[in-house]
Amino acid sequence: MKNPDVISSRKTADAAVTTASGLPEHWPDILKARAHELAQESAAEALTERIEVVTFTLAYETYAIETVHVREVYPLKDLTPLPCTPAFVAGIVNVRGQIVSVIDIKQFFDLPANGLTDLNKVIILSDGDLVFGILADTIVDVRHIPLQTIQPSLPTLTGIREDYLKGVTKERLVILDAAKLLADARIVVHEDVE
Amino acid sequence: MADTNHAFLKRLLATFMTEAQEHLDALFSGVAELEKASDEVTQAKIVETIFREAHSLKGAARSVKLTQIEAACQSLESTFAAMKSKQLPLTATLFVTLHQEIRRLGDQIAALQTEPKPVVARTAMPADTPITAQPEADALPSPSATVVATSRNLPEEKSPQIGTVRVASEKLDAVFLQAEELLSAKLLSEQRLRDLSEIQAQVASRSKSWTNIRTRHPDFYSATASQPQWLEHLEQNTVFLKDLTYQLDAMEKSARQDQRLLGKMVDDLLEGMKHILMLPFSTLMEILPRLVSDLASDSGKEIDLEIHGAELEADRRILEEFKAPLIHLLRNCVDHGIEKPEQRRLRDKPARGNIDITIAPRSGNRVEIKISDDGVGIDIAKLKATAERLGLLDQDTASRLDEHAALALMYQSGISTSPIITEVSGRGLGLAIVREKADKLGGDVRVETRPGAGTTFRIVLPLTLTTYRGIIVRLDDQLFVLPITNVEQSIRVHEDVVQTVENRPTIRLEQATLSMVWLGDLLGVPCRQKAETGLYQVVVLTATGMRIAFVVDEVLGEQEVLVKSLGRQLSRVRNVAAATILGSGKAVPILNVTDLMKSAQLAPAGKARLTTAADTEKTGEESSVLVVEDSITARSLIKGILELAGYRVSTAVDGIDGWTQLRSKKFDLVVSDVDMPRMNGFELTKKIRGDKQQADLPVVLVTALESREDREHGIEVGANAYIVKRSFEQSNLLEVVRRLI
Repeated sequence: MKNPDVISSRKTADAAVTTASGLPEHWPDILKARAHELAQESAAEALTERIEVVTFTLAYETYAIETVHVREVYPLKDLTPLPCTPAFVAGIVNVRGQIVSVIDIKQFFDLPANGLTDLNKVIILSDGDLVFGILADTIVDVRHIPLQTIQPSLPTLTGIREDYLKGVTKERLVILDAAKLLADARIVVHEDVE
Repeated sequence: MADTNHAFLKRLLATFMTEAQEHLDALFSGVAELEKASDEVTQAKIVETIFREAHSLKGAARSVKLTQIEAACQSLESTFAAMKSKQLPLTATLFVTLHQEIRRLGDQIAALQTEPKPVVARTAMPADTPITAQPEADALPSPSATVVATSRNLPEEKSPQIGTVRVASEKLDAVFLQAEELLSAKLLSEQRLRDLSEIQAQVASRSKSWTNIRTRHPDFYSATASQPQWLEHLEQNTVFLKDLTYQLDAMEKSARQDQRLLGKMVDDLLEGMKHILMLPFSTLMEILPRLVSDLASDSGKEIDLEIHGAELEADRRILEEFKAPLIHLLRNCVDHGIEKPEQRRLRDKPARGNIDITIAPRSGNRVEIKISDDGVGIDIAKLKATAERLGLLDQDTASRLDEHAALALMYQSGISTSPIITEVSGRGLGLAIVREKADKLGGDVRVETRPGAGTTFRIVLPLTLTTYRGIIVRLDDQLFVLPITNVEQSIRVHEDVVQTVENRPTIRLEQATLSMVWLGDLLGVPCRQKAETGLYQVVVLTATGMRIAFVVDEVLGEQEVLVKSLGRQLSRVRNVAAATILGSGKAVPILNVTDLMKSAQLAPAGKARLTTAADTEKTGEESSVLVVEDSITARSLIKGILELAGYRVSTAVDGIDGWTQLRSKKFDLVVSDVDMPRMNGFELTKKIRGDKQQADLPVVLVTALESREDREHGIEVGANAYIVKRSFEQSNLLEVVRRLI
């Protein structure tokens, strides 16, 4: 995901060093040139603000979620289903002595069930107040995405309500808006017997 | 900079608010006490106390530069000073003025919170009271020169008691929670000890059978004797096993000792923490004089509140939990219990009503809070009549109800809005809450009433929160915890005992008929209809005055549990109160028995249950299937589908687990995932095909791998069917399974 300009400028610098190695008297110049290039590199980077995301698969689709809201990724070993909860609540897990509720976002978003999925991971989201996990099949990677490459998504593209989407990248990677998910009152279960 | 300054002032103000509230409450209760005090010694003592309170509040207000409040305190202080020097007679009008003044002061302080204006303001403004404030820090200004002598040398703050420290309650709570977490360490060590004992037993039995080999197979030894190195190996093995047994014994013994020591340390620590968290009842009662005085003046009544035994201590959490119910009860006493002065005069009662709160210790670490008023009492006849009219009971039953049972109607109608209560006396308002809270804390509530003469509520509460114990029950493959305080008994009843009354199954238990409810039905968990023996495992639960027999699959035992919140996302779940973590690390829901009682009443008649129980039995022998899958969700999905179709299903988490189960039990078919840790599906299939006894067992592979190579590999190792997860559907799995069995 590196900026091609940055890579080429590094190559130039590397090339400069290689040619210079035989000519020690030119070292100061070369170093100066290199420092100059590096300075430009960081300036270029500052222009493109990036967000860090975790990409994961769920029911044969790939999604991404910003890491700032991810507390940790936990292997799903022993999920205890909880009775009398809405379908989107998959259950509870024990994360080092703390009870964390786990949500199936496929159910929460009313996405069609697509075959049988291999839910093996829980991505634990937190905004310091609310904590819950979302189910994932596999974790793909952690990557940086320049903000300017993210475009608002068409709801028809994913079936996920626009409210929960941060956007879609050129590669059609759907980025979920964890902050909205965490702030959504609909995700909080509060039901009395009546 | 401005921001930090503002934040600092805000914090300062918050601290002041907390402190001010304490002083205000003390002032209120002090003045109320003074009003009742008859002898001069007591009066002088009380005046001294409230004088100090006003003085401290003034000091606090000055430190945050709240001039207005400072001035108001000054005025109060001066009045108290005058009372102290007996210049001011204690008249009824004086008390009215004092109450008003303190209330106004309270309003001023409360207003600070709503409008967080900068606190530094108007420092030079003169106080809007007749008393002139003097800027000296120590000397106490007074309305007249005569009181100066008596009010010298007052310490600026209350002198702290020797050996006590003031700690923020949040800090204490945090430490307490951590101490409580140690309970899980205790449970874990119990579990480890059990595991170790099991291994010890296995090794011991293996070692024994190995030692016996000599006597059981004499030829074996003679045959090996010809090969000295074999014999040596065997001897070494024998020695090793013996040694291992010995070491394990020693280890188990020390583990047991450690476990006992740790358990005792944790218990002692928790017990000690509980005592740190004890506070006198007075902390709860301080707000009451003001509350009652406010309520009484609002409703045009005159009421004295007397509090006895407020020095008794109880767990802070119990006090906090009980605050709301207590206020509820008092509100009811004032609103509906005590009559207006004119009505009271008509009944030959003193015009001022009286509410008495007496706290007294009871045996077994318990305390009784008695709240009695000398008001109208509860009209039982009217209560019965209303209950009849609402169809809660018929005339015949109503006439047979004794006083106690009739009063129980007040809780039975349950919901606070119930018209039956509001119409009679309004006392039902919140009574259900009082009962629920008492139940939750492991206490009890009782009402006695003398028509026209008053009502007494007796609430018995524990002084410390007892360690939470629960029984663990099983429904299908899910575990649940039922709080032991609600469990009356756990018994097995034969199906012949079950009788249907109005379409609902019931059982007779000790001369009482109890409704029988399938816990699984309430929770939506599939549970065994009936054990083969025709016996039902029943747990009798009590809460909010009801008793219901709940049917479960199995009762696994009783143990200490550490209650853990479900978190904010699951703010309130029907029928589930919290969760706990067992020694095995498994999270288990703790059920909310009060909810279960309500759910049971709302549930449709359970007759269908009994008939289906008979129906499923007819299907007779089900085929048994082993599902091997590492993903828990996929595992439970496949299991669910197969069970619904009538198969008996066991599960395994990977190939090794599956293989172990296959060797210990007979199955008719295996459904296995391919990609699993330890042993994958291909390897498992190969193992099955290579085993003499299992070779013909049908194997269905369900996998995410969809390439042709994988499919071919599956067939190569001998799988009978290959289902790709992406196109997985309930119907195709069932069809394949049906074809193979």
